[in-house]
Order: sequence, then C-alpha cells, then structure tokens
Amino acid sequence: MSDVDPPVVLIVEDEPDVAETYKLWLQDEYEVRMAKNGDEGLEMLDASVDVVLLDRMMPGLSGDEVLERIGERALGCRVAMVTAVEPDFDILEMGFDAYLSKPIRSQQLHDTVSNLLERSEYDSMLQEYYALVEKQATLEATKSSAELAESDEYDALTEDIAEMRDGLSETLGGIEDDSDFIATLRGLSADEE
Amino acid sequence: MYDLSSVLDFEELRDVRPGSSILLSGPAMSGKQRLAYDILTDGARDGEGAVVVSTNDSARNIAQVFQDEVPELSDSQLGVVDCRGEGGVDADALDGTFVHQVSSPGDLTGIGIGITKAIEGLHNAGRTRGRLALVSLSTMLTYTDKKTVFKFCHVLSSRLDTADYIGVFTIDSGAHDSQTLQVIKQAFDGLIEVREAEAGGREARVLGLANEPTAWKQL
Repeated sequence: MSDVDPPVVLIVEDEPDVAETYKLWLQDEYEVRMAKNGDEGLEMLDASVDVVLLDRMMPGLSGDEVLERIGERALGCRVAMVTAVEPDFDILEMGFDAYLSKPIRSQQLHDTVSNLLERSEYDSMLQEYYALVEKQATLEATKSSAELAESDEYDALTEDIAEMRDGLSETLGGIEDDSDFIATLRGLSADEE
Repeated sequence: MYDLSSVLDFEELRDVRPGSSILLSGPAMSGKQRLAYDILTDGARDGEGAVVVSTNDSARNIAQVFQDEVPELSDSQLGVVDCRGEGGVDADALDGTFVHQVSSPGDLTGIGIGITKAIEGLHNAGRTRGRLALVSLSTMLTYTDKKTVFKFCHVLSSRLDTADYIGVFTIDSGAHDSQTLQVIKQAFDGLIEVREAEAGGREARVLGLANEPTAWKQL
C-alpha cells in the first residue's frame, strides 16, 4: 500500500442500485471496481485487488462458488461475504474473512474494509518478522557466541526483531477475536500452497 | 499469574504471566508429553480449563489421563483437538470432554477452529483461566514447513494472550536441525529444556522467563 495508490475494493453484486450505494460510500478512500455477477467478478479479479465484497445470493455463479474459486487462485485478497439474512451456519468454518448482513450501513462497510486491510498488513508484517528471525537463526547457527557479541549486524537484527514483535502486537491488537485468528491461520495455509 | 512450580520446581515458573507461551524441548522419550499433561492437570485441580491439541494421542487416552490425575474433573473442563485425522470418536465414552476432529496435523485452520471452540466452550462454562498443550510441534513440522509452523505458533500465542491462557508446546530436540529449533524458539516467551542426566534420570532448566538460563536441576 503506497500513498499514491489507494487500496482496491471489488464489489460483486447483481443489484445495480445496491452496488452503486456501496461505491458511493467507498470511493473517496478506495479505488472501487464493480462486477455484476460471479463470472465477471472472477474475470476482474487479479493481484491488485485487496478486498472483495461478495454478494452471496446471485443468479448464475453463487457467492459460495465464487469464493471457492478465489480460494483456488490463492491471490491473497480478503473476502467479505454479503448475506441477505444473519447467517445461521458456523461462520468460522466458511472460507471468507468477514460477513455483512443486509441492509448494510455505511459505517459498517467502512469498518469491515479497513479491518480486512489491517489484517493483510498483519500478514505481511508476520512474513517480514519471520524473514528476520530466520536470518538471526542462521547467524546463531554459523557463528560462535563471541563472534555474535562483536557483530553489529547481529545487534541491529536483534533490535529489528524486538521492534517488529511490538508492531505485530499493536496491529489488530495482536489477534483480537476469533474471526481474526481463523482468518490469519487461513492466510498461512494459503501462503504455503 | 500461573504457578507451574509444583510440576517443575523452578522459582522462575512460580509466577508465569497469563498469555505466556512456553516451548518444552527435549530428546525423544524424555517425558515431554507427560510433563505437558502434568502442567495441565495441575491447573485442572484448581478448576482451570485445559485444552490439548494432539497429533499422536487419542482423545480417549487423554481424557483417561485427566480423569486419573484429577478425580474431581468436572464436565466442560477439558477440550481435545484431535489432529490425527483418524476420525470417529465415541462421544459417550468421553462424557464431559469436548472433542474436535481435524483432518491432519497440517490443517492449521482446522486446528485453529478446534482451539477456538474449545476455549469458547470452557469460557461459557465459566472457566476464565486455562492452559493449552500442543503435543507435538515435531509432528506438525513433518506436515508443514518451519516458516508456517513459526507463524502458526506466533498467531496462536497472540490468541492465548487474548484469552489469558498459558500455552505449553512440545518439540523433539533431536528431530530437527539447529536452525529450525532456533527459529521455532523465537515464537515463544520461554523455554523449558529436558535431558537425560548423566547420573541417570532426567534434568531440566528454564530459559527466557528470567534474564539468565537457570542451572540444570534433577526432576
């Protein structure tokens, strides 16, 4: 996320009025793209998309089917499922990162999108943190403790790791709730594939 | 604070901060699993919740250990996340134990869901304190790489921190190269090392929870 390019939100929604409303709410802060059904949504989906707002009930490909194909492509985008009713299923077991029940209010939509973006940031910080820890472990495995004590590189690395650890616990408040926890784990498994 | 010193007699384990995650490392057959269970049953005797994430042991065996060790163990005090991927559990034989089956030790999302449900169940039963044991990271490392296991441990530690639980994770120190061990250690607040003592028996020391490693002490 640079200062120049706003995050990209892709809205997949078959009702034009509803899609327009979401767009109006979001367009000041985000680059908004719109797809009017599941097929078009999958076509428009690429690595530049940060968050997908996906309607569950659509003619043609359903939201669930689209979600499955997004998962197969492992693009690293976050998906918020939009449902007509409060879901009665176990949301943790589903593959999406957040859900919203219609009707959606503006504030709610903003909160959801920004939470999902923060979660993506957490993922990349965790990746960066791992890279530092691995580097430190390599130094520790190859150098004697006397050499490590003299090494400025090792000192700097140790400091960076401490800083990054604090940063991680501040982002998302660490892992604040169950859906953050599960979505983060789901992201780990996706990275691996 | 959690007092682990009645299981392992170290001053450093007397006041373990809620949210701490501890790695329990030692060679094969050094009793790490038993030690992890002992830490949980000790808490269960005081009414704390217990969650066991198991890659090797069946829910039935674990429930048996807890019932033997803690005769007063009540319903909704023990949760088991069974990652052996063998399915099929006779729920009647495990009255009061929450069991969640996961398809494999590499299914991190499934393990996370099981842990979440177990902690939630214990919480709803009024158990606001609890201890989690994961046995073992070594098995998980045969299913997935060290990067993923490291991240998993970090994220799970954050979740335990939010729940005010403590976590104990076992690893077979002889099964991995030193770089892997070094990386995994970094995901934890502290380390308990177990080894065979030269004079026979076992000894342990504690690192990371105090400034300096403790001396080795006979178990």
